Amino acid sequence: MTQTITIDPVTRLEGHGKITIHLNEQGEVEDAQFHVTQVRGFERFSQGRPFYEMPRLTARICGICPVSHLLASAKACEAIMSVRIPHTAAQLRRVLNLAQMVQSHALSFFHLSSPDLLLGMESDPAQRHIFGVASARPELGRAGIGLRRFGQHIIELLGTKRIHTGWVIPGGVTEPLTASHRDEILAMLPEAYANVSLALAAYKQIADRFQQEISVFANFPSNYLGLINEDETIEFSDGALRLIGPKGEIIEDGITAQHFTEVIGEAVENYSYTKFVYYKPLGYPEGSYRVGPLARLNIVKSMGTPKADQELAEFKQLANGPVESSFFYHHARLVEALHGIEKIERILTDPQILDKHVRATAGVNRLEGAGQIEAPRGTLSHHYKVDENGLITWANLVVATGHNNNAMNKGVLQAAKCYVKDGKFTEGALNRVEAVIRTFDPCLSCSTHAFGQMPLAMTLLSSDGAVVDQVIR
Amino acid sequence: MNQIPLQCLILACGNTLREDDGVGPFLAQWAEERWRNDPRVRVLCDHQWTPEMVEEVAQAESVVFIDCATDCAPGEIRTMTVEPAQDNSKLGTHHLDAPQLLALSNQLYGTLPRSSLLLTVGAGSLELREGFSEAVQAALPAASSLMEKTVLELLGSSNDRPSTQRK
Repeated sequence: MTQTITIDPVTRLEGHGKITIHLNEQGEVEDAQFHVTQVRGFERFSQGRPFYEMPRLTARICGICPVSHLLASAKACEAIMSVRIPHTAAQLRRVLNLAQMVQSHALSFFHLSSPDLLLGMESDPAQRHIFGVASARPELGRAGIGLRRFGQHIIELLGTKRIHTGWVIPGGVTEPLTASHRDEILAMLPEAYANVSLALAAYKQIADRFQQEISVFANFPSNYLGLINEDETIEFSDGALRLIGPKGEIIEDGITAQHFTEVIGEAVENYSYTKFVYYKPLGYPEGSYRVGPLARLNIVKSMGTPKADQELAEFKQLANGPVESSFFYHHARLVEALHGIEKIERILTDPQILDKHVRATAGVNRLEGAGQIEAPRGTLSHHYKVDENGLITWANLVVATGHNNNAMNKGVLQAAKCYVKDGKFTEGALNRVEAVIRTFDPCLSCSTHAFGQMPLAMTLLSSDGAVVDQVIR
Repeated sequence: MNQIPLQCLILACGNTLREDDGVGPFLAQWAEERWRNDPRVRVLCDHQWTPEMVEEVAQAESVVFIDCATDCAPGEIRTMTVEPAQDNSKLGTHHLDAPQLLALSNQLYGTLPRSSLLLTVGAGSLELREGFSEAVQAALPAASSLMEKTVLELLGSSNDRPSTQRK
């Protein structure tokens, strides 16, 4: 008799997800799926709205990365307006984007994943949360809090609000940066550097304990997609996309926002509301790829900042070619956080950052526009069509989690095959299956859920789909 | 962590788009005006209380948490002492309640405010709209007065005692 094991909901993720594991008659894992069970509907209900409302509207998709949607949306609007924003506005947006990345990566590492890494995958679920980390390693708990505050306070200083700031608008930003706010941010840098250095040191100290997880946590050859500058340094706000193959070879380069839909497609599977994004010339699912910190560090030749470049060199020693195990998303995240702090310092020490000219104005000059950026979790694209009055007639958002969807599903199957044996499952085995998803840090929407404990519903189905047994914790 | 002592932290939460859930932001704005030039008082307000607020809590000699309540009559105003949570097995990633914030302060910084109070106003309606229900609208002056009285008492008692207790 075949069995189906369901993990519902998956814990310590942004949003709601469910994992189904199918066993064959021998009790071996045959298949596994990661289901996204939410429907948001933004692409539909934004139709009829003025295009310039889209940044504020789409920022409400998420409370963790609203800045990403603000920026991608604003860029799509600027394509409709046919404007190029002032240089200072572009740099200020870059600071905002980097600040968000630092706080988002801190949330992922310290709050969502460090309980597993520091306390162990088999540790008591009732303790496997930030309080457990605070008890075992209080200095790391404080470092995580500090990095989150660093990023959030910069967002607040720039945009008045920490979440859903209205500062980014089509054409630029609403207000220039004041000297006092710039100095306040610069004063926060030493502590930020100290906190991320502590995290990197702690991660490197403990990563070796997870050799088995490293080998089966979505560890397979894949393609990788991310923004890159012409000098092959990492980029989060501008540049063009590069797709590389499993050996690091360039498959396609210079993918601009306007060119995006020509080469990137979206497939639908009947078990999830999140689309499966792929590179069209290779078809689906062969054209699947990964995005986000691991992909970005695999694609670029340099971070462009000295400390992060040292860390990148060390990161690239992990493999001869692209680093394949998704476990190393944790490592890549911390390298990016360090880069973010360095880049913020570099931008803010340029006197031009206080320039007052931060906005360009225009009306509808094109009936279609697209914008793309690198969100903390990976590439984000907004694409709009408008009528002559600037009202949205069509909108499409391609989010990072969609890009990673196929890889997450393959990763869940790979881990399940390793840890779920003979129809039996342990707390640690199921936590590891969840932990694979957490390496991708998917944002299924901002939603709260419980640390530590694993609200778990396991459903056993007969081969004809009838419920044989059900266990709910 | 910033070592400048803070005598009273007013920590409010709520959503102004959810009718009476906006009582926290309303009282926070009132408090900002009331103590605008008083460095002894700091006012923080957000949609929810998050782990990142624990630094301010750890630095404060006293904390007044402000929120609406759903377990009492609409417009009913209550204050109660808050103790650190003992059971943290059910913990959210994006929001904490007042007892959990205190417990995290103790765990991470080894400090607790000398006084921690929760001031709530009973919610009559949490619909998707701005403004307040009649009961809460009528209670706002009394809630503001009670908050003012509470903070002044904490500031007064703070002047007579040594700094934040340490555990």
